[in-house]
Amino acid sequence: MTDEAGILLRVSGFGFAAGIVYWFLSYEWLGTVCLLLLGAGPGFAGLILVHEQRQRGGTGESRAAALRRLAGIPPRDPPGSQELEAEDLGVLPLPTIWPLAASLGVAMLLTGLIYGLWLVILGLGLLGYATWGWLAAVNRENRYGRIQASTRAPSPQSGPVSDPRPQPDPADADQRRETGTGPGG
Amino acid sequence: MQPRRRVPAVRWFAVTALALAAAGCAPNSVTEQGEAARNLYLLFLYIAAVVYVVVAALVIWSVVRYRRRDDELPKQTHGNNKLELTWTIIPTVIVLVLFVFTLQAQDKILDNSGQADVNVTVTAFQWSWRFTYEGAGAEVLGTPESIPEMVVPVGQRIRVKLVSADVVHSFYVPQTLFKRQAIPGVTNEFDLTFDKTGLFHGQCTQFCGLQHTDMVFRVRVVSQNEYRSWLAAAARRGSAGQPGT
Amino acid sequence: MATTELPLPALPEAPHEEPGGIVDWLTTVDHKKIGLLYIFTSFAIFLAGGILSLLIRTELAQPGLQTMGENTYNQVFTMHGTLMIFLFAAQVSTGLANYLVPLQIGAADVAFPRANAMSYWLYLFGSLIVLSSFFVAGGPAAVAWTAYPPLSTEYFQGTGMDLWIIGLAVVGIAGILGAVNLVTTIFRMRMPGMTMFRTPLFTWGVLVNQLLILFAFPPLTVAFVLLFMERNFGARFFDAAAGGNQVLYQHVFWFFGHPEVYIIILPIFGVISEVIPVFSRKPLFGYRAMVFAFFGIAALSFGVWAHHMFTTGVVYLPYFSIMSLLIAVPTGIKIFNWIGTMWRGSITFSTAMLMALGFILVFVNGGITGGMIASPPIDFAVNDTYFIVSHFHYIMVGGLLFGMFAAFYFWFPKITGKLLSERIGRWQFWIFLVGFNLTFFPQYLVGLDGMPRRIADYQLERWSSANLASSVGAFLTGLSVLVFLWNFVVSVRRGQPAGDDPWEGNSLEWVTTSPPPHHNFHHLPEVRSERPAFDRRHGPAFAGAGAATDPERDVDRG
Repeated sequence: MTDEAGILLRVSGFGFAAGIVYWFLSYEWLGTVCLLLLGAGPGFAGLILVHEQRQRGGTGESRAAALRRLAGIPPRDPPGSQELEAEDLGVLPLPTIWPLAASLGVAMLLTGLIYGLWLVILGLGLLGYATWGWLAAVNRENRYGRIQASTRAPSPQSGPVSDPRPQPDPADADQRRETGTGPGG
Repeated sequence: MQPRRRVPAVRWFAVTALALAAAGCAPNSVTEQGEAARNLYLLFLYIAAVVYVVVAALVIWSVVRYRRRDDELPKQTHGNNKLELTWTIIPTVIVLVLFVFTLQAQDKILDNSGQADVNVTVTAFQWSWRFTYEGAGAEVLGTPESIPEMVVPVGQRIRVKLVSADVVHSFYVPQTLFKRQAIPGVTNEFDLTFDKTGLFHGQCTQFCGLQHTDMVFRVRVVSQNEYRSWLAAAARRGSAGQPGT
Repeated sequence: MATTELPLPALPEAPHEEPGGIVDWLTTVDHKKIGLLYIFTSFAIFLAGGILSLLIRTELAQPGLQTMGENTYNQVFTMHGTLMIFLFAAQVSTGLANYLVPLQIGAADVAFPRANAMSYWLYLFGSLIVLSSFFVAGGPAAVAWTAYPPLSTEYFQGTGMDLWIIGLAVVGIAGILGAVNLVTTIFRMRMPGMTMFRTPLFTWGVLVNQLLILFAFPPLTVAFVLLFMERNFGARFFDAAAGGNQVLYQHVFWFFGHPEVYIIILPIFGVISEVIPVFSRKPLFGYRAMVFAFFGIAALSFGVWAHHMFTTGVVYLPYFSIMSLLIAVPTGIKIFNWIGTMWRGSITFSTAMLMALGFILVFVNGGITGGMIASPPIDFAVNDTYFIVSHFHYIMVGGLLFGMFAAFYFWFPKITGKLLSERIGRWQFWIFLVGFNLTFFPQYLVGLDGMPRRIADYQLERWSSANLASSVGAFLTGLSVLVFLWNFVVSVRRGQPAGDDPWEGNSLEWVTTSPPPHHNFHHLPEVRSERPAFDRRHGPAFAGAGAATDPERDVDRG
């Protein structure tokens, strides 16, 4: 399994083990529930990562080696290739006011619990509007493109990388950013 | 050579540190239970002082001995598994030993299986205390201006039943090396056996509101004869609420 | 052993990034700007919390109530703790993390840049809500930062308490959102070649810290919801007379509260693990052990919460005692590995390194007293006294602040392209070291003597000299912070140009320009170890152990 899944599953193991031991020592409900949830949460996430990776073809690591690694015993030889697939690393969204607006909406909504329904409604309204603007921006940028950073997987020699693919000029990126800010941007 | 001059400095530092640590005082206790806490504290303190001196000495030694002198890169050691194991196992052993001693002291302090000689119900309220002597009809009621005194006999097992009338408080007599929270809805019981007479300061130590600072009390430990006469007089007074005389 | 360094190719001139108008800052989704927003906001709150602490120390310098009434004092210490713990300590590290983690892993930004911006704005608005409690009728909450009911539910009526709860709940949401972001970033966005075990220690520290936030903040939010419902909607969770249980609050609060202190300190461990190797010119000793120690500490931190409740009389003492004592083991591993890094190294005493050394000396002190209070009999004696106050200030002020300043001195050149003055930095370090110890060491002594915490005035005359010394130390500490601010102002304007890599750093951020371009890197080097910048400088000609081309290099030493 991947290192990330390993981390999450170990935390999960701890949560379950500690929770069970704690229950039988104390019979105290709240701490036990908290610890068991600590086991369930990362356990769930870890299992999803393991499942996902199996669908991609796995690391070529045997189950025994995986279990040994889970227990914290590092393998003699690194299993298979340790390269990550170069996922899309350089996708940057355009500047946008919607996160600020949405935050303000949340703050107003929750403060309204003190000062009255009117503030809750105002906050909810702003949050709704901001969510709509945010989703519209995401949609627009998915369709019409964003800044692509000029970093790709490096060639296999140390030192500066010469990338055979033509890179978007950083100056152009700044230009594109400026024209990108419009209503809802 | 330079390093040798530094060794005396480290030794001096170690001695001073240990002396300071010891002087940092283990508080004296006036109860049997407190004695167990005090001895445990001394054990922890000595181990703590040694650990601190060792770590500080290693740090100071490294920075003195390994100052950059030239542009050569030092040997790029990545680690040493034997060392890692050593400094994992030794602290674990130390910790387990401390835990065993902790359990022993804890059992002594919390042991309330014996027969109680005096039963006092302590009621904590905002912002003073009420001491009710069960079975004797005596009561002491304090106010923030009039500090209540809990009078108890020396050498006898005092069973305190601790309750709260409103918020969370904490019953703390520093020289007993002990405290317990008074939680609304919870009745806490613990024993104190004073082994010397005297007047001991007490204070609420769980923040409980505006006059938490003033929620002071005192424990007056007297001889058993004195206690009996005080108790009789207090019972005659009824719940009149004077601090002990 | 002679070394051969590759002549570094000149990286293209970074286009000078204009700071941009206010709109730029309001709409930014750039992790670097967001990181700076976090740092500036949290530092401002730190200054406010610091002023509150000076008010406390002014009042306690002498017996008697000289400067303020009891209610004001209670509000002052409540808000001091609230500002420092909830609104400063975790967020200054989040700011550093936001700025540095994408750089350290070779990414152009975090996984969810817009949500990242939202986290910051939620933090800001939440903080403003909490601070607004100073201006409402009745003033801010006066219930201690732990806000135990029934005091906080039935006995404190003002709106200030409700604003406290709501504001902190908003900040909690910010934290959880940010944690999702950073964990995803670290798991998913490392550049090719950067396996988890080649990730820099600061990023590991952030990963563990954010995982802790993810699992510890929800219980806190629960605690706040319960408090709010009990205050405003007639709930009776904590009211014994109605069948509730006060201790329930203590459990759920401390289930958050203990991991919180590790949330605060773990990124700092990461900072120290970056600074010491660079200024010792050696790799971090025991990289894998350090990573495992991070997780050991994090896991154990969830198992110890009730050591804050030893004096309640209703928790199972041995379980929490052994777990708390055991945390000393992974913490000790880290300290020995830092020493091992310096050992046989070649040490330069930059201000960052001085701060890191100060950190070790001061943090170990706090860690040791932590080991003491892990033992219930000792805790029965010193809980809720100044011994505890001193213990956690050794960690929080000593540990956190020394580490934070180490981070500032180390990374200021990367962020601004200029160096902070080393000369002024040395002054700051020594004043801080002396002032800090003068403030808090006497507090151990009065705590052992029985002085309780959270009192506006003390009755015993013999506590006054220690308190006076402590107050003098506090002002000295405050002076050191002013020295830092002066250094900052002077260096931002006239600091020496730093270049890309003034310290001969190890991790990826030192490969790019100072400050970095908008998308962080013009070119990414190969990553074949946990020290890509080092490998790039020394290249294949460096044939010593640990070199990038050393075939032994990637084999695990078990």
